[in-house]
Amino acid sequence: MSDRSDGGTRGDAQGDARDLLPGYALHALDDLERRSVDRLLESDADARRALDEYHEVVASFTVDTEPPAGLRASVLDRVRNTPQVSSTSAPSGSSGTVESSSAAAVPPADGPAAGGGGDIVDLSARRRTRRWGVALTAVAAAAAVAVPTTIAVQATAERDRLREQSEIVSEMLVDPDASILRGTVEGGGQASVLVADDDMFFRADDLPEPAPGRAYQLWVVAEDGSVSSAGVLSVRDGETASLIQGVEGIGMAVTVEPEAGSEQPTTDPVVVLGA
Amino acid sequence: MYDALAPVAYGASIGVLRDPDHAAEVTQEVMVEVWQTAARFDAARGSARTWVATLARRRAVDRVRSEQSRRDRDQRDTDLRNGESARDVVAEDVERSLEGSAVRRCIEGLTPTQREAVVVAYYGGLTYREVAEQIGAALPTVKSRIRDGLIRLRDCLGVARHV
Repeated sequence: MSDRSDGGTRGDAQGDARDLLPGYALHALDDLERRSVDRLLESDADARRALDEYHEVVASFTVDTEPPAGLRASVLDRVRNTPQVSSTSAPSGSSGTVESSSAAAVPPADGPAAGGGGDIVDLSARRRTRRWGVALTAVAAAAAVAVPTTIAVQATAERDRLREQSEIVSEMLVDPDASILRGTVEGGGQASVLVADDDMFFRADDLPEPAPGRAYQLWVVAEDGSVSSAGVLSVRDGETASLIQGVEGIGMAVTVEPEAGSEQPTTDPVVVLGA
Repeated sequence: MYDALAPVAYGASIGVLRDPDHAAEVTQEVMVEVWQTAARFDAARGSARTWVATLARRRAVDRVRSEQSRRDRDQRDTDLRNGESARDVVAEDVERSLEGSAVRRCIEGLTPTQREAVVVAYYGGLTYREVAEQIGAALPTVKSRIRDGLIRLRDCLGVARHV
């Protein structure tokens, strides 16, 4: 597949625009050219797919470089005062890689949530509180880093499971209705749970080793206050993560239990996340 | 999110801008944009890394261009040549920049002319027209070199989307 010359000689507008896709991905087009490609992208799924590939090629030039240390705080500070844009306001067929229009025209995201989750009253009430959005960034950071790191040290079957898990968590992270609960673990460490629809992603770090013969056990707290086990947590280097799907909980709690786990909590929780 | 993606945004910005302050500002804008528009991110269309690198590079190139036109306005014809040479892509810079990039090995597989066109367009943040001026080739030639270059890189990198 050397020097192709199709498209360039076709002369029709679509063919010309198609030829400009690499330049579009490189951001090397003038305004007129860019508009012709935009028109092509609106109507042509193949062109969108080709563009996605070119974007990936261009992105592969990027060498990850640690930004200046002070930047993290200023970004998080700005994010704290910036509302998120809901996915439903995006024009159909667009994606992040194509469209970067201003967020200014988008209404604030505290209108009624579209579809699903309306029966979990407490959470939907919390969704309106902007500060959960801030915390979401922190957990997004943690999840984005933590999940692949874990994958690297697991056996194959486990890796597949975790990969699937990380995909689910990624979806949860971009769910505009997701909320996040955080708390400090008694005895040391921080815990958080990301809640989106009926899924909960719990993670904690800096946990001290439990006493010999003991383990951390995770619990889902239901709206009526009842708790059900979400399993014993396996902790590695003080870190643990657990994805629980299809539960209607309003929060989570962790207790220290005998190694094999308990039917019901037998000690006071070291952390409670939720109402 | 910040810890995983800010180095991508910063790396993409500094590749084009080569100025830490400008790159930091662009990184900040991009990370806020990522936060704002995270719900629009569609994993089926590419990785978060690609998304962030794309946003960052786009902003970085826009910044190069607006700086350039500001300089052009300020200096008019006094020092146009200097303004141009500031955007020249120095070969050693490119070699150094490519260290650690996924594309490094595949770049070797391009013809010298493809390589030149792609690299100049990427690191210079230039339009097709400007690339043509800089390397002294006809516009259609530049277009096809860049297109064929990216296609070859795509195949080499194994970027292929099956739907």
